Amino acid sequence: MRTYQGDFTIQSARAKVWAFVIDPNQMGPCIPDLLALDVHSETEFRTLVRVGVGPIRGKFDLTSSLSVAENGRQAALVIKGGGMGSGVDMQAEMTLDDAETGTKLSWQCDVKVSGPIASIGGRLIDNEARKITEKVFANLRDALEADAAESGQSEVASSGE
Amino acid sequence: MALHPSEARPFGKSITRKEDPRFIRGKGRYVDDIVLPGMLHMALLRSPYAHAVLKHIDTCAAQGAPGVKLVLTGEDLAKLNLAWMPTLAGDNQMVLATGKVLFQYQEVAAVVAQTRAQAEDALQLIAVEYDALPAVVDPFYATTPEAPILRDDREQKTNSIFHWEAGDRDATENVFADAPVIVSQDVRFPRVHPSPLEPCGCIADYNSATSKLTWYVTSQAPHAHRTVLSLVSGLPEHQIHVISPDIGGGFGNKVPVYPGYVCAIVASLSLGVPVKWIETRTENISSTGFARDYHMHVDVAAEEDGKVLGLRVKTVADHGAFDAAADPTKFPAGLFSIVTGSYNFKAAFVEVDGVYTNKAPGGVAYRCSFRVTEASYLIERAMDVLAQKVGVDAAELRLRNFIQKEQFPYLSPTGWTYDSGDYATTLQKALELIGYDELRKEQAEKRARGELMGIGISTFTEIVGAGPSHTFDIMGIKMFDSAQIRVHPTGKVIARLGVRHQGQGHETTFAQIIAEELGLTADDVLIEEGDTDTAPYGLGTYASRSTPTAGGAAALCGRRVREKAKKLAAHLLEVGEDDVTWDGEKFSAAGLPAKAVTMKDVAFAAYTNLPEGMEPGLEATYYYDPPNLTFPNGAYIAVVDIDKGTGAVSVRRFLAVDDCGRVINPMIVEGQIHGGLTEGFAIAFMQDIPYDEDGNCLAPNWMDYLVPTALDTPRWETARTETPSPHHPIGAKGVGESPNVGSPAAFVNAVVDALSPLGVTHMDMPLSPWKVWQVLREHGVTE
Repeated sequence: MRTYQGDFTIQSARAKVWAFVIDPNQMGPCIPDLLALDVHSETEFRTLVRVGVGPIRGKFDLTSSLSVAENGRQAALVIKGGGMGSGVDMQAEMTLDDAETGTKLSWQCDVKVSGPIASIGGRLIDNEARKITEKVFANLRDALEADAAESGQSEVASSGE
Repeated sequence: MALHPSEARPFGKSITRKEDPRFIRGKGRYVDDIVLPGMLHMALLRSPYAHAVLKHIDTCAAQGAPGVKLVLTGEDLAKLNLAWMPTLAGDNQMVLATGKVLFQYQEVAAVVAQTRAQAEDALQLIAVEYDALPAVVDPFYATTPEAPILRDDREQKTNSIFHWEAGDRDATENVFADAPVIVSQDVRFPRVHPSPLEPCGCIADYNSATSKLTWYVTSQAPHAHRTVLSLVSGLPEHQIHVISPDIGGGFGNKVPVYPGYVCAIVASLSLGVPVKWIETRTENISSTGFARDYHMHVDVAAEEDGKVLGLRVKTVADHGAFDAAADPTKFPAGLFSIVTGSYNFKAAFVEVDGVYTNKAPGGVAYRCSFRVTEASYLIERAMDVLAQKVGVDAAELRLRNFIQKEQFPYLSPTGWTYDSGDYATTLQKALELIGYDELRKEQAEKRARGELMGIGISTFTEIVGAGPSHTFDIMGIKMFDSAQIRVHPTGKVIARLGVRHQGQGHETTFAQIIAEELGLTADDVLIEEGDTDTAPYGLGTYASRSTPTAGGAAALCGRRVREKAKKLAAHLLEVGEDDVTWDGEKFSAAGLPAKAVTMKDVAFAAYTNLPEGMEPGLEATYYYDPPNLTFPNGAYIAVVDIDKGTGAVSVRRFLAVDDCGRVINPMIVEGQIHGGLTEGFAIAFMQDIPYDEDGNCLAPNWMDYLVPTALDTPRWETARTETPSPHHPIGAKGVGESPNVGSPAAFVNAVVDALSPLGVTHMDMPLSPWKVWQVLREHGVTE
């Protein structure tokens, strides 16, 4: 199992960020190389994503399930699935805190991979997993901030970053 | 300079290999070269998890995919009572998983389609729902109470497979109690893989009209495989025709029966057409018979001058998810108790515990006779640890401890009767040829300058040639072997044997043995192996057993033919049989050497001019049950230089002096030694199959599991001493595996010797530059 973590600040109010991250229809498209998104309910969604780790390239079919640990502040996302004879099990946790310039989002993700992607792509997987995870949250921030810009007003001071 | 196979009296001569023209010109025929009309192709779906509950398999989409003719799951096989199969080690192994999966890359489903690509594509459409379970990766953890029980199919609810002992515990403890010196060392022999160039594969071709199954398979033991297949499937044995065509390397990997074989056969039986299954490289390394994976602890009791007294060995053997080792029935740890090696121990006690883990199944003898490499490596490493402790030169310590020439036949403390050997002479020859004293001087000068040069010695004893049948069997089948010689009217011979070569050169060496016995040339003798419909029954080629068993059978069968030939010669020479003499090339009337007939004359007479009442024809069959094993041995010396900046080890010289008894073809022996040394080099410096904590196999390909190229491989120097086996019909002992058995210790001993001024006493293989560099850094040699 590998654990990745990080945090960053989004120039958007916590309530708005929260509404975004617990909405599969908004969160789903943040997944990089997304080919298809199928939202089953408020907490369950299925994604088809393009994956490439070293010599292993193909599509992963992932089932995601969202749960709220502390309303408005903490949520967990369990992602399970795989493809090309490989599997992935992820448990991500997001925590939102008020920050000077908006909302601080801290995340931690335990990733367990299996199959050829683990054994053949093993050496390359660290960078790839970090890249993908970072991209998810970068997309999230971009989406929220673009949304804020479109609505013509910044809800928080934008002098931070 | 090699001689042509038309040479007279070919025994002991370096004649060119009869099989080479077809291999060199690309005219060999391997399983994957065979294309049969209407043949379909099979691919296997494998588990991504090392340990998981198999909750559900949905094959609907795969069944409807283009070109797909059949999809098989464990449930389908269960209906045929074929979801599990017996292993050669007496365990059971899943063919296709039911209930749960026990190692990553385990076989879960099979797809048969018109093309391989269609089969592979359809695999992606099979939806399998797994529930991952914690994986047991550490064999020491496996037997703790906290570890989950992996094999709930077994009555015994434990991950322990067997506990095995050899030697005398009390006598050994007594020796240790009074010993002035005791050295101890943990030694690991990594999990390695034979990794033959050609992976495993087969074509199953069931003819529903004749009810005959023809099975083309990469098999080192075609007869045994036919019997196993008959017992497992219920098909009559005479309706199974096993053909093992040219084999691109085996090294033990092609001894077991694999799940893919069973699936291909079931598919052909179901569909009534030929079904081909050929592994990928990853499938070969990650799921078929690996070797070693022994965690050993050794204690040596000795006098202060380094004379050994007692040996104590405790080993944990990681067999993976199923015990699919290919050892003789009574020997779950093979011949590991040869671990007292070439040394005169008073007492020894050896324990081995086999355990299950969530790794690929196996425990095959990779170019060694049943766990002998592990044993040899351990004792040769331990002798160096002892030499370092008592401050005696490694060569001198060995000379002080050798079993002496006069002691043969020598009964070892673990119960083996060594046939012959002259260890001191062999080592002395090696020391002289390599210039040992000069090298030690050079080393002293280099050490004074801070340079790292090492000299490593290994003086191993092998144990090969199983039978004899009173001790050795596999699944109850006695380990004899056989030869059948048929001399045709023009004096040309077709000989068939129960073994199956995979690079050993049987077509040449066995032709030489038979030609020598019959006064013919090797060109006159065609050797055929690997076809169960024509060859006499035998247990196959592995464990350096072909020459000790089938080679003996070939010689004795030749003598049996010669007995009848002598009667025919008497008839042709018009003298009594007692007055006929044989000089190796012709029969002549005693006292009248000019009055002579050759084997060709006699062969023609066997079909055209027989004495009254004699049965026509000239042929014989011989089943040879050897009275004992043979004990090849050798003295190997490696010289290495270590780069202080990178930790890279350069093998400057390597000398192998082998004693394999009488040599049939010196060139082939030398070639065998070159190959085995190259594999030993790879094991010492490059090879390991590690698993991560989740049971993911981290070296399932040739990017991570390294095979040396010509650029990596050192230059080999070889020499021989010749101590014939007293009981073998031609005094031969077998050699194919000696270099793999003996060389890893020489390499490691050389590296440890180079690093010994730093206080290093042991390092585990593989000695990669990274590992050596870490040691150098720990000791402040490099930054």
